[in-house]
Amino acid sequence: MSRNFLISLLVLVVGTASSLAGDFAEANQRFQEGDFAGAASAYEQILAVEGPRANVYYNLGNSHFRLGKFGPAILAYERARVLTPRDRDLKTNLARARKDAAVTDESQLDPRINAVVSALSPNEWSWLLASTALAIGALTMVGGVIRLPLHWTRRAVGLSLFCIALSASALYLRRTESTRGVVLSDTTAIRISPFEQAESIATLSPGQIIQIGAQQSGFHYVESPNSGLRGWVADRDFSAVIPHQP
Amino acid sequence: MVKIALTEFYKILAALLILTASAMAAEVDAQLDRDTVAAGNGAMMTLRISGGSANQPVVPPVENLIIQPNGQSQQFQIINGQATRSTSYTYVVGSHTPGDYQIPPIDFMVDGKKISTQPLKLKVTDAGAAAAPAGAPQNAPGSTPDAPADAASEGKDQFGFLTVELAANERKHAYVGEIAPVRIKAWLPADSRANLRSGIQPESQAFTLHNVSGQPQQTQEIKDGKRHTVVTWYGGISATKAGKFPASLSVDVTVAIRDTAALKQTRRRTGGPFDDPFFDSVFDQMNTPMIQKDITLKSDDQEIEIRPLPTEGRPEGFTGAVGNFKFDSTRIPADWKNGEPQQVSAVLSGTGNFALMNAPDLAPSDAWKCYPAKGEFSGGDAASFSGSKSFNFSAVPRKSGAQEAALTFSFFDPSAGAYQTLTSDSQKIQVTGEAIIEEKPATAPEPPQPEKKTEDIAQQHLKLSAVRSLAPLVSQPLFQNLLILSGGLCLMGQLLSWLRQRRNDPARRAATTLEKSTREALELAAARATSGDVEGFFAAARLALQYRLGALWSKPPQAITLTEIHSHLPSDSPVTRFFIAADRNQYHREGSTGFLPEWRTLLDDAIASLNPSTR
Repeated sequence: MSRNFLISLLVLVVGTASSLAGDFAEANQRFQEGDFAGAASAYEQILAVEGPRANVYYNLGNSHFRLGKFGPAILAYERARVLTPRDRDLKTNLARARKDAAVTDESQLDPRINAVVSALSPNEWSWLLASTALAIGALTMVGGVIRLPLHWTRRAVGLSLFCIALSASALYLRRTESTRGVVLSDTTAIRISPFEQAESIATLSPGQIIQIGAQQSGFHYVESPNSGLRGWVADRDFSAVIPHQP
Repeated sequence: MVKIALTEFYKILAALLILTASAMAAEVDAQLDRDTVAAGNGAMMTLRISGGSANQPVVPPVENLIIQPNGQSQQFQIINGQATRSTSYTYVVGSHTPGDYQIPPIDFMVDGKKISTQPLKLKVTDAGAAAAPAGAPQNAPGSTPDAPADAASEGKDQFGFLTVELAANERKHAYVGEIAPVRIKAWLPADSRANLRSGIQPESQAFTLHNVSGQPQQTQEIKDGKRHTVVTWYGGISATKAGKFPASLSVDVTVAIRDTAALKQTRRRTGGPFDDPFFDSVFDQMNTPMIQKDITLKSDDQEIEIRPLPTEGRPEGFTGAVGNFKFDSTRIPADWKNGEPQQVSAVLSGTGNFALMNAPDLAPSDAWKCYPAKGEFSGGDAASFSGSKSFNFSAVPRKSGAQEAALTFSFFDPSAGAYQTLTSDSQKIQVTGEAIIEEKPATAPEPPQPEKKTEDIAQQHLKLSAVRSLAPLVSQPLFQNLLILSGGLCLMGQLLSWLRQRRNDPARRAATTLEKSTREALELAAARATSGDVEGFFAAARLALQYRLGALWSKPPQAITLTEIHSHLPSDSPVTRFFIAADRNQYHREGSTGFLPEWRTLLDDAIASLNPSTR
């Protein structure tokens, strides 16, 4: 009974994986044939069904870029960067898309500090912090049971504390990334109040990075970090890099 | 005497006048003020009896012809000593049915004699050319008889008409893409009251109407010898294709005008101070009733010529702007870095079609890569024909070094009928960094292709990566659980470490050993006592006390002697007393077993008295 169940489960997993690989290959083929809209649709379908995958987001960004849709392209690249921050191709294409969209995303940090804290994604920094804390706990546990060499213990504790301090600092400096958003619409008005008829302060370019704040009746209070603009933007005009999960 | 003479003179004169009037023959006359009238309208018929008196005449009925009495008047005149008296009866005559009608002779009984008028002919035409006044009763058409002039045309324009003309007087045409200013006039009768029920509306698809002024102007103008109240709007029309098209604008108006039929009736003279023709118009205006009608004024009969934009002399940078513009300001940054975009701004002002106006170009064009601009229009007048438009766009230099840059803008000037190109003042700029290598040579002629991004982005990734969460671990509950687990492990480790250290403490281990030895010595003493071995009992009991005291005083058990005990404990303490007894037994060997229970009790007291305070 259990053997049959395991075989069925194995067949299901293998079948699903091969179907997903086929969909991904088909989407790539569409891209190669110049059907960028079709490729983008296929990539979005994979993401909707399978969940976030860095390469799918990357390829989706390329498709939107080829279509001249800089807002969705930059959003896809930003999401891919959350998953694979050290991908050189991704860095290249994201910079290219920003350049063509005439938008910037300048960090407020010192370049050297920014280089360090950007070396890992927030998720990776989180895992480093958590695993280091777990290592200290395990070390303490072992030290309680057996007597460990003092010099070895000191080095381990020192290294663990350094990792904790570093990862905690990186997470603190990048704390605003969880509320980052990308402007999608070509005509995104930033208004003084959350109403369609409210006066427009300015317009935001597609691909521009915004910080998302409170929500009210179809609008979010946002801030454009590079321009300092603050106001209300319709929900349809932007998308969060990290979608809110209720 | 003189008074009597004058009285007689007047009597004679009156008798002469009466005799003269009686001597004249009575006459009757019938007249229509027109011989043609539109159906639904009426003509004025006047019956006049002079030289006699007659009763009200009876007008014979005519099929489909309505004859409505409209008044009666009398006149008495003396001309060259000849007195004349006449009586006039007026009627409004009309019909709803077109056709030729004949009013038969009308009989009068004057001084007992029957006198008849001549027959009259009236032609009633189709009412299509002229609408019946709204205020006229159905059984009395023609309560507003028309003027003798062209009844049809005047009926059509009786309540007003609409005209459209290009505001630029020197031009009778517009160009494709141009928003040509137009002047739209609603011509209404001067003494009318009008209420606009709509705005100006286009009725054909040939033109698009733009920015019609919301507050029309009202003036008094004379056209074709008549005074009109003119309501004027300003707006713009544009067309996307060339040709001649009817203007086809309309406006809904409710117009109230004076009843001109009543105005034409002869007012009865009363002989008063204002009984003068000079005052007729004043009283007529005051007394003439108003009639009101809802109408739609149209301008179908007017055409506007739309010309295509000339192809000759069209600048390369022309993008469709039609009007007359100039640079108000420009801003080009002085310092650039290759590959880094900066904002360029310009403000253009003038008159024309701002909707078709695109951003100016950076010149020389091969030295720049420009991105789509954002424009913002500020209207300069109510109709937004004039104003200014500001542009902001990003540009990236392609070449390095010192250069000169300027902004150029091309447009078609409809007034001059020619293209114009504006160039801003040239500005010196400095570009640092390496020049951007173009992917395609600028001189290579290629057929026009649809716009396609061919930038060199990195290629697709063909390997499917693993599923990961976009939300970082730090924002998930798992992160907190891991930290709690880590803290638990630390606490557990500390607890284990404390237990381990406690277990390995030498003092604790020595105390435990001493306690164990004491317990063993006491058990041995009890066994000796049971077996009656007095010497063995005291030796074991003494050793037990030494272990216990050594543990308390942190001294080796062998170092505990009676002298040491005396220095710490009083001489009557159970320990001292037992130790003395034990020494005595050791050296004197009393050997009696009868005292053993007593000594065991003393041993128990001594052990019990050794608490930590004994220290």
